[in-house]
Amino acid sequence: MGNKQTIFTDEQLDAYQDCTFFTRKEILRLHGRYHEMAPNVVPMDYTKDPDVKLPMQLIINMPELKENPFKERIVESFSEDGEGSLSFNDFVDMFSVLSEMAPRELKAIYAFKIYDFNTDNFICKSDLEKTLNKLTREELTAEEITLVCEKVIEEADMDGDGKLGFADFENMISKAPDFLSTFHIRI
Amino acid sequence: MTSMRHGSEYSRDLPRVNVLSRSQYENSTDNFSFEPEPELAYSLPSTFHLLDRPYSHGFSNVSEGFIQRHNRRPSDEISVTSSSPFEMDPVCREEKDLVGNLASMSTSERIKAIQKMPETMKKKREIRNKVLKEITKKTRHHSTRLSRCTQCLQGTAVLFRRFGNSLSEYSHLLQLWHKTLKIIGAKFGTSVLSYFIFLKWLLTFNMFSFLINFSFIIIPQFFAAEPNNLSFTGLELFTGAGYFQQTVLYYGFYTNATISKIENGPPYNMQLAYIFTVGIYFVICFLILLFSMAKSFCRNFINPQTYSGNASKLLCTWDFNITNEKAVKLKQKNLGTQIKEGLTEVNQEVLYFSVTERVERIVIHLVSWVASLGTAVAACAGVYFLSINNLKLFVKGHKNDLEGQAAMLVLPVVVSLLNAFIPFFYSWLGHLERFQTPGYQIYIAITRNIILKISIVGILCYYWLNIVATSESQCWETLVGQDIYRLVLVDFAFCLLGSFFGEFLRRIIGTTVCVSLGLPEFDIGRNVLDLIYAQTLTWIGILFSPLLPGIQMISFSIVFYVKKVSLMMNCQPPRKVWRTAQMTTSFMFLLFFPSFLGVLSVIGVTVWRLKPSEGCGPFRGLSSMYAAVSEWIKILENYTASKWVVWIYHNLITSELFFFILSVIILIITYLYWQIIEGRKTMTKLLRKQIINVSLTFSFILFF
Repeated sequence: MGNKQTIFTDEQLDAYQDCTFFTRKEILRLHGRYHEMAPNVVPMDYTKDPDVKLPMQLIINMPELKENPFKERIVESFSEDGEGSLSFNDFVDMFSVLSEMAPRELKAIYAFKIYDFNTDNFICKSDLEKTLNKLTREELTAEEITLVCEKVIEEADMDGDGKLGFADFENMISKAPDFLSTFHIRI
Repeated sequence: MTSMRHGSEYSRDLPRVNVLSRSQYENSTDNFSFEPEPELAYSLPSTFHLLDRPYSHGFSNVSEGFIQRHNRRPSDEISVTSSSPFEMDPVCREEKDLVGNLASMSTSERIKAIQKMPETMKKKREIRNKVLKEITKKTRHHSTRLSRCTQCLQGTAVLFRRFGNSLSEYSHLLQLWHKTLKIIGAKFGTSVLSYFIFLKWLLTFNMFSFLINFSFIIIPQFFAAEPNNLSFTGLELFTGAGYFQQTVLYYGFYTNATISKIENGPPYNMQLAYIFTVGIYFVICFLILLFSMAKSFCRNFINPQTYSGNASKLLCTWDFNITNEKAVKLKQKNLGTQIKEGLTEVNQEVLYFSVTERVERIVIHLVSWVASLGTAVAACAGVYFLSINNLKLFVKGHKNDLEGQAAMLVLPVVVSLLNAFIPFFYSWLGHLERFQTPGYQIYIAITRNIILKISIVGILCYYWLNIVATSESQCWETLVGQDIYRLVLVDFAFCLLGSFFGEFLRRIIGTTVCVSLGLPEFDIGRNVLDLIYAQTLTWIGILFSPLLPGIQMISFSIVFYVKKVSLMMNCQPPRKVWRTAQMTTSFMFLLFFPSFLGVLSVIGVTVWRLKPSEGCGPFRGLSSMYAAVSEWIKILENYTASKWVVWIYHNLITSELFFFILSVIILIITYLYWQIIEGRKTMTKLLRKQIINVSLTFSFILFF
């Protein structure tokens, strides 16, 4: 990097490149974004892998996420502790999965996690109700909501257990061609 | 298939999975009799994956499918295996397996596999480092004698990778308008964004074409240029005639000589340069189009059953691209109304028509098809007679006055007017027809518009190749080039006017005069078709006017900015949910099928069949443009060093037998693949049935 301050070593950048769908430059840009959110906490020098985590509150205020109705769930799904605070690694991971290059299978896994509000590994009726409320800004009546949720489960539940497992979800996604292009955040 | 099974075996006992699964297992043994879920969940998803994967992956290689099935996959977390609790240290063993597997892959495969793991970064990096260690251990173990050599090789490999990385960084510099695209996506969602991405893609096509034309045809021509003695008045910019006739803009200006500026240096044969540059460009274009189309098909048409159910509407339609507050609110509102509408429509899904109604509908459809095809034919006839008239005027007297110049512009203006206004008539027809689904209406409208545009271009091509080429003009190629130049220019002007009248004035009317109309929506279909039309013209024009891609490049970048500004100022996000991915694929297909293949046949006829003009251009005096190549081969026969070129030419390129065998082989391969796909389809069907049956049996057993 010339006489600029080194943020990552070459080995680190290689590792990031091998593990995510980003190029060096994008990783540096992501670091810039991460640093920008809390300049006092996040060091510029990441060569020694400092153990820094940013709380959810900071991250969901990024312009890319701010208006997203699922922002809390997105951040929670990618945080290692499940509480919503993200280390830089988790942060890179998040945008890697949401990037254009990520394959459908990987995206499906995380989309499932995002919609699984109560983290019981199933998308059950309460999850669907929450999703629906977030999608429509609570415009529907309670009756309509239950009706829609019932229909959705009836439609997509292949094994008849009254909730959607990952297989059901993946099957549904394989029939929704737009999923790949819409489950994507440009950074 | 064996490797697949193997993969799923070890996927069951990865660290995280394992802890969870064990506890689940204990639970389920405790209350096995009345807790069906874990059992069900365990048996179903794993069968499903195992069987679904080979189908949905199509031809992706097996080793990729191998790793993805790993860890953190929600269904695997609850998967239970009978073997795992009895193993000594499954975590360790299994990770070793994984590392070993990864180490045995090639570098790019390994990276892909690691990237695809649904793991935390920390874990991925750990695995990666272990794999790298394993590899270095292996290589050291393998060849202690050759250590220096392997070190050397490894060093170069690392260097190459670094070099590749830095290259890819620079290619990112070429990614134009990243920020603009992000803003558009944030405000208007993926569907409108796809138009701009398509535009950008076409722009890069033209940039590439311009670069190779410029470096292989135009720069050499500068060395052999003759002075231009025509005067420049400024009006030529619109008509493309006059001064430009003797510039590198047109075919007619190029020399047929070999250029040798350096003494004793190898000469530069203009004829060959011209034909090979254009030829190779088209081959590259063909390959790029084919591959991007195939990729797009593979990504977006995995399961072609249309799925308009509520489930996917709920869980798959949210556009994560949208980050603008207003747009988010609007989208939420639209989704709300759509869901409400969906609820009310459930009961009216099946519409019954009486016999008379049905006959009436069929008659309306027939009439509107006849009307639309009739307009297309009428438009073509009009264009044809106008162009013949134009040619007479042109050949008779080279009037350089204003009247003559204006007359030249009549044809392109009429063509653009037809292209701009007939689509309105078509959409009116579409409204009359009252289709059951709006998607159907869009597709019919696009089909009609494509028929119109392609037939107009077709009739123009017929006019150029059959009438202009046989007319007694001095240099018919230049005339065609000028015609295309004017068409491109006027089309560009109409595109700008279209966004002024169609979007700006429409907004003014929608916000002041007629408030019920509201803000206009960006018409993706119409705009994309305009782009396809413009690109078709450019491809046809490359042979006659090598600089045309450069002009189109400039006009496309202006269109990009104008459309962007117009979109931001005037339009609102689309209310309908577009099937964006399928739309983009079909647009790419349209660009390939009528457009590109049509252009190829036009170019083919020009190169093989038509006689180039006697007095101008690089191919003057030859019987056809292709004769340049065959004469070159004749010269090459005298040199022993280039015997292989001659051999390839005679045995592969000009031999019918070779092409016959090639096409037979391709047909056989296609047939085999088709059969394999059919087999897989039946298999998936059977397996789906099996899943349902199994689940039914389970619930049946548990119920009693």
